[in-house]
Amino acid sequence: MASFFRKSLGIRHLSCGSCNGCEHEMSALNNAYYDITRDGWDIVASPRHADVITVTGPMTETMRNASRDTIEATSRPCVVLGIGDCAAGKGPWAGASSAGGGAAIELFGGIVVRGCPPTPEDIRAGLKAAASLLSRRKDSGAAGPRHPVEIQDEHSTAILWEEPSPDGASDEASSS
Amino acid sequence: MSERLIAECRSAIPLGAYGSEHASYYLFLSSSGAYAISTELGATREAPSLAETFPLFGWDEREMQDEWAVRMLNLPDARPLRAQNGVMPEAVLANGTGVMHAVVGPVHAGIIEPGRFTFSSGGETVVHLDAQLSYAHRGVEQKLAGMPVLDAAPFVARICGGCSASRSFSYARALETLAAVEIDPGVDLARLVVAELERLYNHLADLAASAAAAGSGPGFARGMAVKERAMRLCQLASGHRLLFDAIVPGGVSAPTLRDIPPVLADLSALRTAVESYLDKLFANVSLVARWHGAGIVDHATAQAFGAVGPAQRASKGQVDIRTFVPYGAYRSIPARAAYASAGDAFARCRVKRDEIRESFRLIGEALRQLETTPRPAAKTINVPAGFSIGVTEGPRGTETVAVHVDKTGRLERIHVISASYRNWPIVARAMDGNIVPDFPLVNKSFNLCYACVDR
Repeated sequence: MASFFRKSLGIRHLSCGSCNGCEHEMSALNNAYYDITRDGWDIVASPRHADVITVTGPMTETMRNASRDTIEATSRPCVVLGIGDCAAGKGPWAGASSAGGGAAIELFGGIVVRGCPPTPEDIRAGLKAAASLLSRRKDSGAAGPRHPVEIQDEHSTAILWEEPSPDGASDEASSS
Repeated sequence: MSERLIAECRSAIPLGAYGSEHASYYLFLSSSGAYAISTELGATREAPSLAETFPLFGWDEREMQDEWAVRMLNLPDARPLRAQNGVMPEAVLANGTGVMHAVVGPVHAGIIEPGRFTFSSGGETVVHLDAQLSYAHRGVEQKLAGMPVLDAAPFVARICGGCSASRSFSYARALETLAAVEIDPGVDLARLVVAELERLYNHLADLAASAAAAGSGPGFARGMAVKERAMRLCQLASGHRLLFDAIVPGGVSAPTLRDIPPVLADLSALRTAVESYLDKLFANVSLVARWHGAGIVDHATAQAFGAVGPAQRASKGQVDIRTFVPYGAYRSIPARAAYASAGDAFARCRVKRDEIRESFRLIGEALRQLETTPRPAAKTINVPAGFSIGVTEGPRGTETVAVHVDKTGRLERIHVISASYRNWPIVARAMDGNIVPDFPLVNKSFNLCYACVDR
């Protein structure tokens, strides 16, 4: 089964208080110039179908519980992929009165793509790295974390890309 | 005091209202510009609500109550506007035999922002929709308070991605009015190009999304392709695909429109592609038929809720800030505003189509003038203490930024009233009597932001 699904990737998007800039660039992945469906990847409508949850924004008070519920509802194994500086906890609103320290930090993202917003190419590279991290989680026989906390403890640490490079990032992910 | 405000509401265009530690502010726009009427709150912090007579203040006054503990008297809907301690107030439901309730959100099945929509419907027909946002509330205005005005500019540009340039423009205008600086003609022209590029990529995305919501795959695919080309044009013109930081207080950023000929060449190629797209989109009878009659907003509703931008001009409204109080290069290159009267999704799409064509004309004209007009670097401006309002016409309508600057040149208070903030309550009203599956269609014909509403 693992090899049958090797090239597919279900992506579910979760905005945790972003400015919508990252969403504009995420949407570009569906246009004729970047068309991720060529790679067998797709934006899916349910966390049950998802392998990767992309998260944006600094995390708002109001989204904290809803976002944890979404991660909880995601089938395992899965990877949380942070998109943008805000998700990395380095955006303009990190630590604002109703904002947290970054969606990918709070939700224990495996990888974070930096940028304000990152370009569609950078996001694609991040997804590629997420797919690689995901296949390692599958191959190792790990059932995947049941709770976001376990993602941090057992499988990965947040990798902050200053200059996104897909190959370097996947190497770092394997060494963690 | 409220008599004066009511009289003002009848003679000028109300922009919105907000509170601060000591006072309430009601903002208006007349043909001579924007102004505020402030009222000291006093020890009781009581203030009469205007929302009963002018529903457009409903959200503003609820926000004053939430954020500044203003005790609004006779507020028709006194629920908190935003979630309190992470808990959203109860939604307003319509009840009756056969009426069902469905809650959608805050997490949605697409690449969009968070919000909660509670539908009360009898069968397929929507009886009432309560749209509750604030899931993207970060505490922007609180974070900006105390920041030096120029340091705050990149933050202001990042309040909302889709209307970043218009907000930066409004912020710059507010500070420049206060500092009484003259802006060079070349800078005015460059700012016009940036503002119209923002309108262009947003409207293209809106039309593509409206086509998708009506089930047109090609309308969506081709629309998103031309939107991508528009974003690449933004990159070429300003160094950023979403025009972040292109407009700064005192001028425009260094990379903005340094080299004109390549931008003109790309603009011309994109114009041809977009014309072909628009012709095919609007010639598709089965698609356009879905837009007709969906989400009707009549003129009275649009007026009462203070609709702005294409939402207002598609419902017999006449206000376009570019023509109502021309600013910057719109004084020398007058914009031609687009209007429609039916108030349905088709009318809104038609207004946006006409505005896309007008944006191409304006950008082309400004770029040609820029070829012979020097575009100097941004000036350093010294902003004295005081109060000022900046208003521009963004893609979704009037973008208002009010600033209170203290003696040390820091923001004492900044308040943002976005076009989406004005229009959201109207989206909910536009759904009355429509069927639930048409929500995406009605919603996307407005295509409003959440981040600048929630802040």
